[in-house]
Amino acid sequence: MSGPLIPPGQRPGLTPPGVRTDELETVEPLLRDDADGAGVGDAHSIGEAALAALPRSIGRRQWPLPKQADPNARLLEVEGLKTYFSLESGSVKAVDGVSFTLDYGEALGIAGESGCGKTTTALSLVRVLPANATVVAGSIRLMGIDLATKSDDQMRRYRWREISIVFQGAMNALNPVRRVRDQIAEPIQQRLGQSEKAAHERAGELLELVGIPRKRGRAYPHELSGGMRQRAMIAMALACDPAIVIGDEPTTALDVMVQAQILRLLEELRAKLGLSLILITHDLSVIAETCDRVLIMYAGRVAEEGPVGEVFRRPRHPYTQKLLAAFPNIRADRRTLDVIPGSPPDLRDPPPGCRFAPRCYAAMAVCSEVVPSESRFEGVRVACHLYTEGGDGRPVTTPPPNAVAAPTEVAS
Amino acid sequence: MASNFLLRRIAVAIFTIAMIVVINFVMFRAMPGSPERILGRNPHVTPELLAATRERWGLDKPIFPDQFVRYIASTAQGDLGYSYVTRGATVVEVLSAHFWPTIILFGIAEVLAVVIGLALGAYSGWKRGGPIDYIGNGLSLLLYSTPYFLLGMAILLLFATGLGWFPTYGMLTIGQVYASPIDRFVDFLSHLALPLATVTLGLVGQYAIVMRSSVVETMSEDYVTTAKSMGLRDTRVLRAHALPNAMLPTVTLVAINLGYVVAGAITVEIVFNWPGLGTLTVDALTARDYPVLQGIFLLLSVSVVGFNLGADLLYGALDPRVRT
Amino acid sequence: MSAGGVAVPLPGTQARSRVGRWLEFMRRLVSRPDGLVGVVILLIFSVLALAPTFFIGPLETAITATGPRLSPPIPGYPLGTDELGRSMLNLTVHATRISMVIGLLATVVTVFVGVFIGIVSGFVGGRTDAVLMRIADFFLVIPTFVLAIILTSIIRDAVGGGTTEVFGIRLSLLTIVIVIGITSWSSTARIIRSQTLSLKERAFVDRSRVVGAGGGYIMRVHVLPNVVNLIVANAVLVFAGAVLTETTLSFVGLGDPFQPSWGQLLDAARQVGAPGLGAWWYFVPPGLCIVLVVFAFTLVGGALDDMLNPKRRGRR
Repeated sequence: MSGPLIPPGQRPGLTPPGVRTDELETVEPLLRDDADGAGVGDAHSIGEAALAALPRSIGRRQWPLPKQADPNARLLEVEGLKTYFSLESGSVKAVDGVSFTLDYGEALGIAGESGCGKTTTALSLVRVLPANATVVAGSIRLMGIDLATKSDDQMRRYRWREISIVFQGAMNALNPVRRVRDQIAEPIQQRLGQSEKAAHERAGELLELVGIPRKRGRAYPHELSGGMRQRAMIAMALACDPAIVIGDEPTTALDVMVQAQILRLLEELRAKLGLSLILITHDLSVIAETCDRVLIMYAGRVAEEGPVGEVFRRPRHPYTQKLLAAFPNIRADRRTLDVIPGSPPDLRDPPPGCRFAPRCYAAMAVCSEVVPSESRFEGVRVACHLYTEGGDGRPVTTPPPNAVAAPTEVAS
Repeated sequence: MASNFLLRRIAVAIFTIAMIVVINFVMFRAMPGSPERILGRNPHVTPELLAATRERWGLDKPIFPDQFVRYIASTAQGDLGYSYVTRGATVVEVLSAHFWPTIILFGIAEVLAVVIGLALGAYSGWKRGGPIDYIGNGLSLLLYSTPYFLLGMAILLLFATGLGWFPTYGMLTIGQVYASPIDRFVDFLSHLALPLATVTLGLVGQYAIVMRSSVVETMSEDYVTTAKSMGLRDTRVLRAHALPNAMLPTVTLVAINLGYVVAGAITVEIVFNWPGLGTLTVDALTARDYPVLQGIFLLLSVSVVGFNLGADLLYGALDPRVRT
Repeated sequence: MSAGGVAVPLPGTQARSRVGRWLEFMRRLVSRPDGLVGVVILLIFSVLALAPTFFIGPLETAITATGPRLSPPIPGYPLGTDELGRSMLNLTVHATRISMVIGLLATVVTVFVGVFIGIVSGFVGGRTDAVLMRIADFFLVIPTFVLAIILTSIIRDAVGGGTTEVFGIRLSLLTIVIVIGITSWSSTARIIRSQTLSLKERAFVDRSRVVGAGGGYIMRVHVLPNVVNLIVANAVLVFAGAVLTETTLSFVGLGDPFQPSWGQLLDAARQVGAPGLGAWWYFVPPGLCIVLVVFAFTLVGGALDDMLNPKRRGRR
């Protein structure tokens, strides 16, 4: 029988077997009002009252839009982005034709294995790439302005003021010899032209916004815990009131409790400040909790993209299915982890056709010859030969009989 | 605690100097048949000096502990003995006569070399690749392979003998009568120029190489990527983020290097007959004037240890991570 | 697993012959531009050092000198002459042997002492380690050059002169070898020690202990073969340093005029006042040799370092 491999109504790995998500109470843990002091680690989360007491300098879009901005255009439209690295041994096609959009107030998650090109995509948006990497093709329209055509100097206008990045909070993401407050104040002074006093004042406000007591701003990065460093980086990212904040594995280096706090903080900030968020991570559960839409990347290309609920309930691309199945379900019966055989291709010489074909259980002859085009249905985009444009979202061909076993059906 | 850091460093420094004093003692005494034999071979030692030395160091008494204690005590009081050659003059007097020319030459050279070398290295590291980087790298490597005195000889040949721009000998022209202090100063400067250029060139190469690799390493750090993503100007990223961090290992290496610079220091003075500790070393060596040699060893070691301590303090001031 | 004497290879290494692996390594080395230049230069100097008499005739002395004094290059004397009328070409080529042999011997001593102390210190650990490393740090801090000067002259005075030769080198120069060894072992020791420390943690050392192997056996049979690569890379750089040190020691007057090294020739040049007299041919040939040899060693050392340490960033 052909059909989606995971019965509708179930999110493998995330819900107990046999329970349909539309039967679960709608839980929005991230928007829970904690003003009454309940919740874990509450000292670090912001309350409604505190937020209301904030001065107006932080908030929705204080600073003017770029002159060339088109107020009717979408916030971000990326089309056919290609970024290649030139090495001695050849050209690595790290990002090879990626397209997606982002609307105001939306949170997009980009997921995939290490090396699939997610970070490179993010860095390409602000064009902060290593010297041997170039954006060779594609357009990046921010409010209608094509950033890809801008010179490096022109790009400076958009960095941090329209798009900012929160990097993985490893030891060295903050300058170890400068005080935290000074680092947050730096873009305010340098990019917005504010005085040192005003910049420090605003830096203090931002610190409080992310749940760090103002006087801790005088500390050096090594004197803060991992979670606080990450909060400081978020404060830094908000300094110029950007339209988009990109989080590149923002919770990966943190333990689970702190991870939850950071995600909750991001969600609160998003709701109150009207931020748009691009969250890059390999951890699908983070995307499930925080994002509206998800983009699954593999080997530099888009595999699948769509609303989080739809993609996680009905993963269509074989890679997405395997990715979801690879997450252990804490409540399910014990089974061996489903591992995707093989390893990602060498991007200097990727296979022709679909890049996942060598590892795909549903691979057909056409998969190794022709690059699959994208099919859309129900708000979802899939790049897979199993689906055709205009179809009903069900795979059009039966997987071959000798295919590698599909993920075990969750017992119902 | 910052003071803990400081105290440990000072303790190590004192220990090092103590070891040097002990080594001086051991070297002189531990050799077979010495010091009688050494003194006996020395053509400059008169019978009176021999007797005076024997008495001063208590050579008729047992080596340990009497001689040892005496030696430590007199050294601690600043008595380093008498020079064999310039009889009557204490080692301290001889050293002080030669001290300032060396300080001037190397002080200025170090400062120049640090400034130029760090600037070149930073520029080279920032703009990696390109012809300037390769040439600079190659030149630095060649300079690194050239002994300072060889460089000095070449410079002397080219600029003094060849072009005649500078004098070839000493610190001041011998027997010159100066019309005014200004004239004297100018003459001093013209004598200083070539040895200064030699030492500076020798040092610049090393500092440039170190700074370059330090900057290259720093530039791949995450906080530099963050600074660039902020849209800050390149000069700002370099100045406020990359350099303060790149300087840290450089400071340490400059300090460690001081011990090695000393060797080059001595030899350059010899080439140009600059009347400093280097020339003194060679003269004392030829004359087997051991008290002076040991005095020089002690003095230079104390200086190097002092500089290292200073560098540690400077590092503590620059890098807040060390202070906790 | 074999016992006694035979080096046990790390699990996973191919079982090619020793010679085969060595040849492969050399091939990789000369495929790099810096490795190639360095090796070629060193080969040339090594060949000259092995049999200088074969190339240029016996070492000229004051008695056998026939040329005009302090003459610039002329037909018959392509590199000019010194103040005794000896051909600079002759002197320089013979000095190659002296400098290279002293450098080699000094390197052997330094590396031997450094590796021994490094392995013992890293392996035994505890107080021994602390004491040994304190001593090593001491030698790294002090101006060892001045110490070397004092030591050399003291030892010479104590031991006396004479014409006995070992390895074709007079005793007076052997003193320099010993002194370089005494003053230069620290950085080698530190490098070997940290490698030993990391090896100590590895399983095969524990396995040997369980079997009952003694410390000395483990150090010899397990640790030593695995630091050989590091030793070789380090030895190359030590050689460069030894040549420079010997040159400088000779330059300040501790060389032997009967067996002139490059440094000794430079000393003679200075004493005659060659730079002041414009007699460039006196010091440029030996000087150039020094620069080339040290440069070559540094290139090769850097290449080896790169090859053995793939984690280095920022390199070609």
